[in-house]
Parts: sequence; C-alpha cells; structure tokens
Amino acid sequence: MKIRSYYWILLMCMVMGFILAMQFRVTRDMQITPDLDRPIALAQELYQARKSRDQLQARVDELRNQLDNAVTGPELSRLKEELDEARQEAGMKEVQGAGVEVTLNDSNKVLQPGENPNFFVLHDGDVLRVLNELKAAGAKAISLNGQRIISTTEVRCIGPTILVNKNQRLSPPFIISAVGNPETLSNSLTMKNGVVDYLQFWSIQVDVKKVDKLVVPAYTGDLVFDYAKPKI
Amino acid sequence: MPQKTSMYVSIMLVAAVLGLMLSVQFRAVNHASNGISIDRAQELTVELKQINKEKEDLSIEISDLTFKLNQIKQGQTEAISALQSELNKVRMNAGLITVSGPGIELVLDKPDTNTGDTQISPELMIIQDEYLLSALNELWGAGAEAISINGQRIIATTEVRQAGSFININLNRVVPPYQILAIGNPQELMDTLGITGGLQEYWRDLGIKVSLEKHDDLTLPAYGKK
Repeated sequence: MKIRSYYWILLMCMVMGFILAMQFRVTRDMQITPDLDRPIALAQELYQARKSRDQLQARVDELRNQLDNAVTGPELSRLKEELDEARQEAGMKEVQGAGVEVTLNDSNKVLQPGENPNFFVLHDGDVLRVLNELKAAGAKAISLNGQRIISTTEVRCIGPTILVNKNQRLSPPFIISAVGNPETLSNSLTMKNGVVDYLQFWSIQVDVKKVDKLVVPAYTGDLVFDYAKPKI
Repeated sequence: MPQKTSMYVSIMLVAAVLGLMLSVQFRAVNHASNGISIDRAQELTVELKQINKEKEDLSIEISDLTFKLNQIKQGQTEAISALQSELNKVRMNAGLITVSGPGIELVLDKPDTNTGDTQISPELMIIQDEYLLSALNELWGAGAEAISINGQRIIATTEVRQAGSFININLNRVVPPYQILAIGNPQELMDTLGITGGLQEYWRDLGIKVSLEKHDDLTLPAYGKK
C-alpha cells in the first residue's frame, strides 16, 4: 500500500515536471511575439512618417513650380518646352480629355459550400490585365483611384487593399480612369473573350463607362535613381 | 487510517497545484494568441521602411531642385545647364534615355516540345503575356528602375499583349526567348522572383525554361530606339 502510493506521487511529479517544462517554454516563446503595444507604436510612427512625407512632397511641388517660373529669355523657354514635353511622357503632367472609367470590385456572389472564396476576389493580376488592355488600346494616361500609372508603377495586393507607386494604399472600389478614344478603349475591354468577360466569369463586378471629360492627375513623386545611370 | 488521510491530502495538494498551473498556462496561451499582431507589426515595418525610403528620396529631390534654383539665379549659362540637367532627369524617368547600371537578366524560353511529358497541356507551355506582366510587376515592386524586354524599353504606356502566337510590346512583335533586363538592386530583384512559391518556381512547374542571373553592368535602350 505504501509503495503503491509512492508510485502515484512519482507519476504526479513526472506529469507536473512535464507541465512545468512546457509552461516554461510557452512563456519564453511569448516574449518573442511582440505584444500589442508594438504594432500600435509602429502605427503611430507610420502616421508621423506619412505626415512628414507629405510635407516633403509639398516642398518638392513648390520647388518645381519655382523652377518653372524662374525661366526667362528665349533660350531658356526652348529648354522649358522640351522639359514640358518630357514631363508629359513621364506622366508628370495632368491630362484631361475624353476616355473611359472602369470600376472594379470584389464579387458579391453568394458562395456555395466548397467554393474557394479566393477565386471571387479581385486580384492584382486582374487590375494589371485591365491596365494592360487600356495601354494596348492606346490610352494616353491612366490613373487608379487618383494615382497616376507611370512606367515603374507596381500593383500589389495586401489583404483587401492595393498598394501602388510604392506606398500609396488604395481600397475598393477601384476606379481606373483612362484618357483616350472612349470607343476604342471600351471596345477593347468588352470584346468577346476579353478582360471583362474573363472577370465576369469569376463574378467580379466590372463596369465600363464612357466619359466625355476626365482628369488624370500628374505623378508628383521623386525622380531619384540609385542604380541606373544615363549612358552618354 | 491516518496514512490514508495523508495520502488524500497529498493528492489534493498536487491536484490543487496542477489546477493552478493549468489555469496559468491557459491564460498564457490565450494571451499568446494575440500573436496575430506579429503579421501586423511586420506589415507596418515594411510600410514604414518604404515611406522612410521615399522621404529620403524626396529630400534628395529637394536639395537637387534647390541647387538648380540657385544656379538659375546666377546667370544665363548656369541657368541653361540647370534646366538641361532637370530635362535629362525627367527624360530618364520617362525612359527616353539609354541607361546603364547593375541588375538582373531573366530569360524565359519555350519548353522543349519533344520531352514527352504530357502532364501539362501545350497551351499552358506557351509563354503568355500574363507571365511577362507579372514578372514586370514583381520587378517594379522590388524597386527596379528601368526594364526592357527583348530590347523594348518599358515606359508608362507600354503594353505587353498576346496577339496570336507572339507578343506585342510597344507595338513591336517579340518572340521567345524573352530576355528581360532590369536595373536595380540585383539581390532584391533576384529575391523577389526566386522566393519559395514565387514566380520562378511557378514557371518551372509549368515547364518553362527559366534562367536568372545577376549582372554588374547592364545597358538598356531608350524607348523608340533599337
């Protein structure tokens, strides 16, 4: 009887030892996970960084304006014209004109059991397809939710939002404005087996609207190259 | 009988400690499940890094513009050179100037047709415009500064569009193998394509021949010139 009870206690001690060890490990792992304060602190820092980014951006806009206004004399005016042309090509000028407005949004389809909801969500690839189709149809200038699409623009899905021009976060609905011949642009999107057909297969909401007057804003960011050098 | 009592007492004691530990453990694990914040923290850190990079670039832009403004005020010749330099910068951004720098070379080629591997249908093995578009998107996202495909510089209005069995870029017909040159941080550009589950793996699974190399000095043509 006495020996049996010692066995019990031995067993209990072993179980307790095991639990203690596990507890210890869990507690230690927890220190690696950042606690709730950290994301909040980061979010605040991000907010500050965004604010000072906007201030710097405003300063750049102002300096570009000053530079343009400082130009006098015929020789400089000629250069200024070339500069304006180059800016047009680079997407640094606002463009107005007729065109199309494409509105994209996630599917509102009620999913059947077993269907993958991911298939019915708008992906960055879908936006790229629409942009590409518009470019192929001769769009002069394109913007996505007010962000000008330039050569280096990337479209990245982060959760339900899209990130373009490095860190401009956009949320649905996504409105693509393209200046160009409205007829050509809209036909290229809505042709049979075209992009609209493809997107509607996944019941993604697409709406193509011809518009008489559109404004596509300018790209105003920096023009800094860290790696590329002009070749003379 | 006293022995039995002492045994019950000791078991009760052990059970009480065990219960306490269980509840502490439970609370600890519960607390740890707030660890979803690790994603959030990561996301925020990435965003913060990019904003700080943009701030840095904007500051460079500001000092550059300030310098040029001062030059313009100094006199005619200085003003001309300041404007000329601004013009070159904008042209470079528009892709109107030949550029060189370090970067990567990515080549995509059709799979050999006679391998007898019938698992993948032949339509999938054609390199579609989509593959090139997603490659471009990934590379821009990783900070590429200039890209060309088969000698066609990619600019704001460049399309990459399937037209039958070939692809049109800048209204020029290009055929495989597709050679994509990108200037930027070579390591970052490599990494964005090469990560597990990334595009390189996807293309290889489709049977497309992929080669990815770093280069110290690449030259990309200007838009509109061969």
